[in-house]
Amino acid sequence: MKLSGVFGSSPNLARNERFIGHAWGLAAPFICTLIDWPLRDLLGPASILMTYLLGVFLVASRYGRSASIVASLLSAPTFAFYFARPIFSFAISDLENIVGLAVMIIVANVTGSLLEKSRLQAELAKQRESHTNALYRLSRDLSAAQDHNAVARIAAEHIDNEFGTDSVLLIADTENGLQIQTNQVLPVSLHNIDLALAQGAFEKGEVRQQHPLSYYPLHGSSAVQGVLTILQTEALVRQSPEVNTFCHLIAQTLERFQLAAQAREANLQAETEALRNALLSSISHDLRTPLTRIIGAVGTAIENDAGLSAMERQELNQSVLEEAQRMSELTGKILDMARLSSGQIILHRSWNAIEEIVGSALNRLDKHLQDRPVRTLLPDSLPLLWIDAVLMEQVLVNLIENAVKYTSPGSPIDIEAIALPKRFRLSITDYGPGIAKHQQTRIFEKFYRGATETQQNGVGLGLALCKAIVEAHGGLIQADNRAGKGAEFSIELPLHAPPLLAESEALGSVA
Amino acid sequence: MTAIPLILLIEDDAQTRRFLKTSLTHRGWSTIKADCGKSGLAMLNSEHPDLVILDLGLPDMDGIAVTRRLRQLSDLPILILSARSQEQNKILALDAGADDYLTKPFGSGELHARLQALMRRVARSRSNLEVFETGLLKVDLTRRKVFVADNEVRITPIEYRLLGILIRHAGVVVTHRQLLQEVWGAEHIHDQHYLRIYMGQLRHKLEVNPARPRYLLTEVGVGYRMAIDDTDIE
Repeated sequence: MKLSGVFGSSPNLARNERFIGHAWGLAAPFICTLIDWPLRDLLGPASILMTYLLGVFLVASRYGRSASIVASLLSAPTFAFYFARPIFSFAISDLENIVGLAVMIIVANVTGSLLEKSRLQAELAKQRESHTNALYRLSRDLSAAQDHNAVARIAAEHIDNEFGTDSVLLIADTENGLQIQTNQVLPVSLHNIDLALAQGAFEKGEVRQQHPLSYYPLHGSSAVQGVLTILQTEALVRQSPEVNTFCHLIAQTLERFQLAAQAREANLQAETEALRNALLSSISHDLRTPLTRIIGAVGTAIENDAGLSAMERQELNQSVLEEAQRMSELTGKILDMARLSSGQIILHRSWNAIEEIVGSALNRLDKHLQDRPVRTLLPDSLPLLWIDAVLMEQVLVNLIENAVKYTSPGSPIDIEAIALPKRFRLSITDYGPGIAKHQQTRIFEKFYRGATETQQNGVGLGLALCKAIVEAHGGLIQADNRAGKGAEFSIELPLHAPPLLAESEALGSVA
Repeated sequence: MTAIPLILLIEDDAQTRRFLKTSLTHRGWSTIKADCGKSGLAMLNSEHPDLVILDLGLPDMDGIAVTRRLRQLSDLPILILSARSQEQNKILALDAGADDYLTKPFGSGELHARLQALMRRVARSRSNLEVFETGLLKVDLTRRKVFVADNEVRITPIEYRLLGILIRHAGVVVTHRQLLQEVWGAEHIHDQHYLRIYMGQLRHKLEVNPARPRYLLTEVGVGYRMAIDDTDIE
């Protein structure tokens, strides 16, 4: 149902209607005359006048006041000429007939205007109903919208449906100002949209017009949320209250998004704050411990230089070296975490063999592993992985290091990989005490440590780092226990379509 | 080459320079020091060192530019010192002609091993090496035959070319780019998957446990390194 149809956005139709009304207004008295002429001897003038009145009434009821006036004004002379004595003269001798004619003209006028009024009221009611429906549909669709793109699409659709005109929504963006949403195709009629004018409407909060476009600011409760640009039509001018209601609904929706974003931001800030505090207390403890040992050892060496045996001196030096290395590792992890959590992780992806990354990680951990048996089960058929090798190696180093840290010296570590349909799974299993059920997800949180006060070094960043890296690859990391073994850490990564080898090499050895 | 090899040390941090000089002198190297790129390049001409240690983070010049300039002037070995944050620069410097790298902080033992490998590589390129041996791996370079624990291993021409390049640089890292360019040509320098596949095959043929290689070492994100025996002397 279109409002435009009711309110005559097509003037041709209305003009046509009026023309037909007037034609009937002209025709009705003659039709009455034709019917009454043969009966003029049977009926008295009063009865004949009644038929004229009926004609006028019918025209009034169908075509409104002006047609009925035409009919009544024409009925009067026709009746006077053909039926009122003297016949064939416009003169009327009977007072009765004059009164009759006057009544007829008044009745025609009154009924015509009454009927027209009620018809207008019916039309208004219909229009109001349609308008309410339109608003209801708009608000229903807007409340389901999840982002700016959806709002822009819904607004354009509904305005086209309800007002039959083109429009485009410009949404205010804190960084870039007014923006046309990326999914919006600008209709041809709006190609000469004037962004400066839109900006003016946005800043002043007033409607701006420049034929043929109008710029409606979208007033939220606190600020202007954007600008609705509409192609003006004749009908639209009369509907500006409706357009305003539309704008209001759209503004409310945009405001809802803004408030949600602010809430998220506030949450994030609180989280960051908590994290920073945890980081500070954790780092100050974990960096001070090795520093205390270094300062102590070096101080002892300097103060007692002469009195120290070669053996004692060697011991002190060794402890300084170890503590410094520990600090180096720790700062490395802190820097990595800072880099990774400072926003998006930039992955330098390339095709990599997991065997090489496992090999390199084990090589790096040679000193930690000493004589521990490390069993690797990597099938020859494993596909290449589309990953950032440096980061993924860091994940393996952290996981293997953990396995070493939390199990007794000499206990084995298993590294196993398998290609599943569309996914790749790698697990690192130890033969230690395993991980309590309630800790299995918490251990991936930043600064979380298995046992609260422990001898183990590290800020509890290792696993959080692993999680961040694996998730940046679209993967999953989990901790579990394996029956008969200990803790199992598993990584699952999505597999990508492998590249092809462009050239094939002739088989055979070098002779 | 002089009896005592001379090292040009280009490093802007005075403390690091001092500890490096002490350590190098004790290990039997003689050193000259420069605190910026320009004076380093000048010394290259005046002092004729045998090897350069170059810090990537210099105050006056980009480390990669220094590497390029050094390469234009001579073919002496260049060892790069890089901080963790210079990951990408390290690879660029290697591709620009540096021979190997050490990530700070490093131990003097590591430094010494790298320098030894570089000097040995120079010696090897001068003498014509006929047989390369490390651990159980033996490669007869004149007859193009490969043995593991005295059993001949049959390898394909491409695998042999890869192995040959790594042996020529034994003990020193060879970047992905260098390997791809030498074996497959300049148009394939981004096709890292070629390397993964052929290096994988080589590892499976030459290593006892390919997941924990002893000869064909992977430098993740950089390239590969052929391990050498510590006792292997030119």
